[in-house]
Amino acid sequence: MSSCPFGVVSFNEHTGTARKCTFCNDRIHNGLGPACAKACPTESIQFGFRDELVAKAGKRVETLKAMGFKDAQLYGADQKGFLGGLNAFFLLLAKPSTYNLPENPKVPQRNVVVDSLLSIGSAVLVGLGALLAFRDRGRGDGGGHA
Amino acid sequence: MLKTPDWGMMIVLYFFFGGIAGGAYFTAAIADNVGGPRSSRVALVGYLLSLPLVALCGLLLIADLGVPTRFLNMMRTLKFWDPMSLFGLFSFVSSVMCFGPFEHMARLRRRIGLIGMLFGFFLASYTGVLLSATAQPFWSEGRLMGALFLASGASTGMAAVSLILALTGGGSNPGLAKVKHADRYSMIIELVVLALFLALLGSAARPIVSGHFAPLFWGGLVALGLVVPLVLDFVGHGRKALGALAAVLVLVGGFILRYVIVMSIQS
Repeated sequence: MSSCPFGVVSFNEHTGTARKCTFCNDRIHNGLGPACAKACPTESIQFGFRDELVAKAGKRVETLKAMGFKDAQLYGADQKGFLGGLNAFFLLLAKPSTYNLPENPKVPQRNVVVDSLLSIGSAVLVGLGALLAFRDRGRGDGGGHA
Repeated sequence: MLKTPDWGMMIVLYFFFGGIAGGAYFTAAIADNVGGPRSSRVALVGYLLSLPLVALCGLLLIADLGVPTRFLNMMRTLKFWDPMSLFGLFSFVSSVMCFGPFEHMARLRRRIGLIGMLFGFFLASYTGVLLSATAQPFWSEGRLMGALFLASGASTGMAAVSLILALTGGGSNPGLAKVKHADRYSMIIELVVLALFLALLGSAARPIVSGHFAPLFWGGLVALGLVVPLVLDFVGHGRKALGALAAVLVLVGGFILRYVIVMSIQS
C-alpha cells in the first residue's frame, strides 16, 4: 500500500487484505469490458486497445486546447515518459497535482541497491569500531609477523 | 493520494528488537573472535540475548497479521533459508555452543559467529531498506535509512549487552569496558549517519524535525538517546551506575528512532 506511487492499493476492511483494481479481468475475458467503463454515464471512462485510445485522446487534447483549456494534457500516455507509460491513462484539464496525481511517479524498488550498499558501508564502520574496541591489546599473539 | 501502510506498535517493536538481536549477535561474534578470554562473557551474553529476541521478532510479525492464523499460509511454502530463519538458526547454534560439551569447539563457534554476523547485520538493516522501497518521500528520499537502522541496531545491541553485563557481573569486568568502548563508536557513527540522513532528506524530513513528533525526535532520540549517553560515558570514567544509565538511554533512543520514523507519517 505504501509503495504504490498513486495510492491505488487499498486496505479492504471486509476481507482484511489489500486490494486493487483488476481491470475486471473476469469480465474482460468474457467480452463484457470493465464495469466502470460500462456504467459511466458520461462515457468518460473508455476501454479499448491502448494505441487507439491514445490517438483518440490526443485529438481530444488538441480540440480542448483550441477551446482555450491551455493546460489540457494526457497523463501516463507517453511510453517514453514516466514508468514507460500507464495502461490506464488520463486526460487532464490542469496540472496533475490538481487531481492528486504525482508529477513524476517512480517505482519504489529503485532505492534498494544503493540503500543496501550504504547499509553495508555502515556495517563496515561499526564493525571496525568494534574491532578497535575488542582487540586484545598488549598481548602479541605471535601469528602477526609469521 | 499516497497511502500509508497502517503499521502500528508491533512493527515498531519488531524493528527495534530485530536491531538489538542483530547488534547483540554481531557484538558477540566480534568479541568471540578478537576479544580473547577476557571478553568471553560478552560473547556468551550477546549470543544468548539474540536468540529470544529473534524469536520475539517472529511472534510480533505473526501478531501483526491481524488474523494470526494466516501465518499458516506461509507454511505451505516452507523456507528455512530466508535470512531471518537463518539468523535464528545461527543464533541457536552459537548459543548452544557456548555450553558444556561444545566448549572445546570454540574455534568452530567463532567461525560460525563470523558468518551468522552477516545475517545479524541483515536483520538490523533490511527493515530500513524496506521503508526506503516505498512511495513515501520521508521514508524513501534519505538513502541512509538502512545505514541508520544498522548503526542504531549496533548501538542498542551493545547497550543491551553492556546493561546485562553490568547487572549480572560482580567486581571488575574487562569485557564490559570493551562493549562500552565499542558502543561509543557505534553511537558516534549513528550520530554522523543521522546528520547525513537529515541533510539528504532536506524538506522531506519535516515529519520528524518539525511538528508533532519533533520534541520526541530531538529530545528523546538526539539528546537523551545519543548525546547524553555519549557524555555520560566520557565523563563517567567507567562508573557502573552511569554506564548502566547510559545504556538504558541508548535503548530508549533506539526505540524512539523506530517509533518516530514509522509513526510520524501515519496520522
